[in-house]
Amino acid sequence: MASGSNPAVQSAPLSNDDIGLERRLELFRLQVEIRDCEKRAHDLFFQNLIKGTSHLSIGQEAIAAGFGVAMQKGDKSFCTYRGHAHTLARGASMEGLLGELMLRDVGLMRGKGGSMHLTSVEHDVYGSYAIIGAHLPIACGSAWRAQYLGEKDVSVVFFGDGTTNIGAFHEALNFAAVWKLPVIFVCENNLYMEYTPIGDVTAVKHPAADRAASYGLERILVDGNDADVVYRTAQAAIEKARRGEGPSLIECLTYRHSGHSRADPGKYRPPGELEEWLKRDPVIIYRQRLKDFGVTDDTITGIETESKRKVDAATATANASPPAPVEILTTDVYADGGWAWRN
Amino acid sequence: MSDTVLMPQLGETVAEGKILAWFKSVGDEIKEGDNLFEVETDKVTIEIQAVVSGRLNEIRVSAGDVAKVGAIVAVIGGESPAKAAPQPEAEQAAAPKAAPWRNPFEEVSTPKGRYGPAKGPGDIRITPLARRLIAQNNVDIMRLAAEVKQRGGSRIDEQVVRSAMAASPPTLAPAPDAPRYTAPPAPLSGQTITLNAVRLKTADRLAENWRAIPHVFQAIEVDFTAIDRVRGKHKRVFQEAHGFSLTYLPFIARATCLAIQAFPQVNARFDGKFLSLSPTVSLGVAVDLSYNGLVVPVVRNAEDLTVAGLAKAMRRLIDKARSSKLGPDDLSGGTYSISNNGAFGTTFTAPIINAPQVAILSTDAIQLKPAVVSTPEGAFVAPRMIGMVGQSFDHRAFDGAYSAAFLSRLKQLLETRNWEDEFAGNP
Amino acid sequence: MGVAELSYRDAVIRGIAQEMDRDKRVVFLGEDIGKAGGVFKSTVGLYEQFGPLRVRDTPISEQAILGAAMGAAMTGLRPIAEIMFADFLAVCFDYVANEMSKLHYMTNGQLSCPVVIRTGNGGGARFGAQHSQSVENWTMMIPGVKVVAPSSPVDVIGLMAAAVRDPDPVVFHEHKSLYATKGEVPDGVIVDTLGTAKIVRAGGDCTIVALALMVPRALEAAAMLASEHGIDAEVIDVRSLVPLDTQTILGSVSKTGRLFTVEENPRLCGWGAEIASIVADEIFWDLDGPIVRITTPHIPLPAADHLEDLALPSAARIVDKVRRVLKA
Repeated sequence: MASGSNPAVQSAPLSNDDIGLERRLELFRLQVEIRDCEKRAHDLFFQNLIKGTSHLSIGQEAIAAGFGVAMQKGDKSFCTYRGHAHTLARGASMEGLLGELMLRDVGLMRGKGGSMHLTSVEHDVYGSYAIIGAHLPIACGSAWRAQYLGEKDVSVVFFGDGTTNIGAFHEALNFAAVWKLPVIFVCENNLYMEYTPIGDVTAVKHPAADRAASYGLERILVDGNDADVVYRTAQAAIEKARRGEGPSLIECLTYRHSGHSRADPGKYRPPGELEEWLKRDPVIIYRQRLKDFGVTDDTITGIETESKRKVDAATATANASPPAPVEILTTDVYADGGWAWRN
Repeated sequence: MSDTVLMPQLGETVAEGKILAWFKSVGDEIKEGDNLFEVETDKVTIEIQAVVSGRLNEIRVSAGDVAKVGAIVAVIGGESPAKAAPQPEAEQAAAPKAAPWRNPFEEVSTPKGRYGPAKGPGDIRITPLARRLIAQNNVDIMRLAAEVKQRGGSRIDEQVVRSAMAASPPTLAPAPDAPRYTAPPAPLSGQTITLNAVRLKTADRLAENWRAIPHVFQAIEVDFTAIDRVRGKHKRVFQEAHGFSLTYLPFIARATCLAIQAFPQVNARFDGKFLSLSPTVSLGVAVDLSYNGLVVPVVRNAEDLTVAGLAKAMRRLIDKARSSKLGPDDLSGGTYSISNNGAFGTTFTAPIINAPQVAILSTDAIQLKPAVVSTPEGAFVAPRMIGMVGQSFDHRAFDGAYSAAFLSRLKQLLETRNWEDEFAGNP
Repeated sequence: MGVAELSYRDAVIRGIAQEMDRDKRVVFLGEDIGKAGGVFKSTVGLYEQFGPLRVRDTPISEQAILGAAMGAAMTGLRPIAEIMFADFLAVCFDYVANEMSKLHYMTNGQLSCPVVIRTGNGGGARFGAQHSQSVENWTMMIPGVKVVAPSSPVDVIGLMAAAVRDPDPVVFHEHKSLYATKGEVPDGVIVDTLGTAKIVRAGGDCTIVALALMVPRALEAAAMLASEHGIDAEVIDVRSLVPLDTQTILGSVSKTGRLFTVEENPRLCGWGAEIASIVADEIFWDLDGPIVRITTPHIPLPAADHLEDLALPSAARIVDKVRRVLKA
């Protein structure tokens, strides 16, 4: 499953297709919709309709899509503040997502959480986490619960290359390995920890893959821009966890097309780097993949058109939604819905 | 597949918009980006473009009509709207599960109302609880303050107040042979008049003051002719400017403040041992409440006020008193008092001192009387405006000579001061 | 119905066992809590009774302990997590301050975190500055968390049960110096209520509010105040900082007019400061004198026994302060 340090487009002949047309169309649809929705989020931010901050995944769609298709209903995902793609990939609605970014009542959390905390339990999205590394032990806890109750779901936690240097990463990996928990750790290595090249701040070249051995885990390093590769890698790790054989640590190599957050135009990147990676744009790769498998232009265009239509409709709905009523300022501090700290 | 056209979000606080004009008609083919309609809010007027292409099948809100933000205003394409965009008002906002508990900005409830200042007579400290009990039970704060001072204490607390409330009226400086207060005799046959609250409140205090303080009364005759002349000159303008008439009282008050500067001992507090001179004059003015009792509201910093200023301040207090709007701040802290009885033509009055003050001025009728006037040509009898100004004083605090000297000074000020200067520049 | 004398540490064991017995979803994790029975011997026997799947020893990984407890709680279990010394909450404070406490609010009610974090709090054991702190106030000030600190064995069991059954994250501060103390505990299942204070000594001259180890000291002081100085103090065991039983405290101070707090935490922003503020606001007009807080001075705690004993409020110091203030 692991490719070397020189990722290239992979393809397999139709006759050996283990993935199947239906899944491939799904993989493409997810990547296209994530791309279009993220681009819309970019525009809405500059129209001042999205406030605060927003971390986009443009260029990293294949990872979210690959795992999104590989996970089943009931498998729980945990992601970071760069979580729009992962939230959509599990099936949450675009208007819920855009609505939350725009801090309106129709948002997934009615505007109370914001872009960095997207959660949709209905779609098994068990939170997006803004404190780096915090959700890795949390995912371990979810996996422990499955193990303890004998439930068959797995927990998948997504994080960036920068996370591999924080304490909670190390604690979680060790914990999961020792307790042999059904949790999959997915490192999206987009080569930059916020504004700093990851190589400048990490003792090893591959921040996740080169550390797997420290926890007795297999070294898994893959091309994160090829949805098929991600899907197959995800499948294998999920099946392993479901069989009770413990956690996996997967490093997916990718690149983000925009800055770290909306405020960052990404000028710290060396010239030419972005252009090189744009050639390996996951959406372009996968469009070609579909054609290689004989999918017609009409079908492809149909998916792309439908995606734009969905994004426009979602934008309109989200934009038309009012801000939530002020009464919810103090609701749901506690599980009883209230906030009473005294009598 | 059809698409609904919504009234878009037009601004943070804008809830609705009025469609001014439609640029397309039902049946027109719309391309994405075409101008569809113009909408006006109280902040802006803007053109709205189509976000989809298709045939304009339906216009639901006509030109000239108002629609809420998010409402469907038109439908493009399809036979009927497939999936209507959720109307904001139709969306059931999930009610908070727990009942609203408190206003988020009132997590702690601040009690309303005040129960008097933290500092009492002579700057004595009073605890919050004591202040509340004093106010709620009409306890005489002056008496408490005197009591505490007498035994060397530094504050009035709950125990002091409760003791005062429980015991029979305590004595300031009990004279061994002083007759104890006795209840009034049984009512005679005839009408029984019940004393009202104000009178009841002051009754005990008056009796106590009369009994405990050795009162001496002195009076001096004052020629008010010069003041009368000035008063006459400015009366009309004053009335027009302030809405009430200029009487002798503010002149007397002003002269009193000036005389006090030379004789500060009359403007003091006496606790039985110490005479505390007050650096400012808090002038109490006795106000008759139409035969229903007497209150003595206080003008603070009277020494800083002109005749007009004093007139206004006293007027304000009198009005408040007569409409029962005096607060505890208005009634406490007095250092000298004036009792003005001139209205009924009396000659002189010996008033009762308000402890812990040491003196009180009385003024009576000022009227034309024959007086001897000295001129270079000899002495003549002439009609002059004459009035008696008297002072009851606490003989423990100072002697008759001091009091007389004060009155003499007061007379001099009243008769010879250039009162016209008080009105220079303003009415 | 029988009554037995039980130590505070045995009450911890009994409280946890009571809840684990009742509900299979209750699990327990921490360092050396299983096979070793806990460094304070406060969890002896649980591993034997409930087995290695429900009572799990962890690596030295405070963040993983709390994070895993949270993840398990979010997805269906009712975990009890031990943080050995309350001082170590600082090591994993992200989970208390940012994660557990805000989860329900940020997700608009989609996710809850029914976790109990039990921790060894307080001084008096000569462990030095980093192992002796009273940190109830650290946890009190985070919205979304509940905080309890029992002072007696029966309260340990009752409040442990209440905490486990509560759907919100609860920090359960056990006091290390109380582990050996004993108290009467009735037989059977004991369940208390969070957010309730107890008047442990009725009185009329002043109200003394105390927590955990300071409760027995306040009671000792009250006895001395009565017998030697004629001062009849009412003593309240706050027990629960969040939710706070303000009504019991306000009712008492309305009656006595005087409030003292006895706090083991260092002075600044101690839990008593908040209570003093509420009293000075809501029942200002019932106060007959200043509110006085008796606290450990604002210093790190020394290891030396005579110095540590001097720093923490003692019964003698409480008596002295109350007497001087009331007689002033």
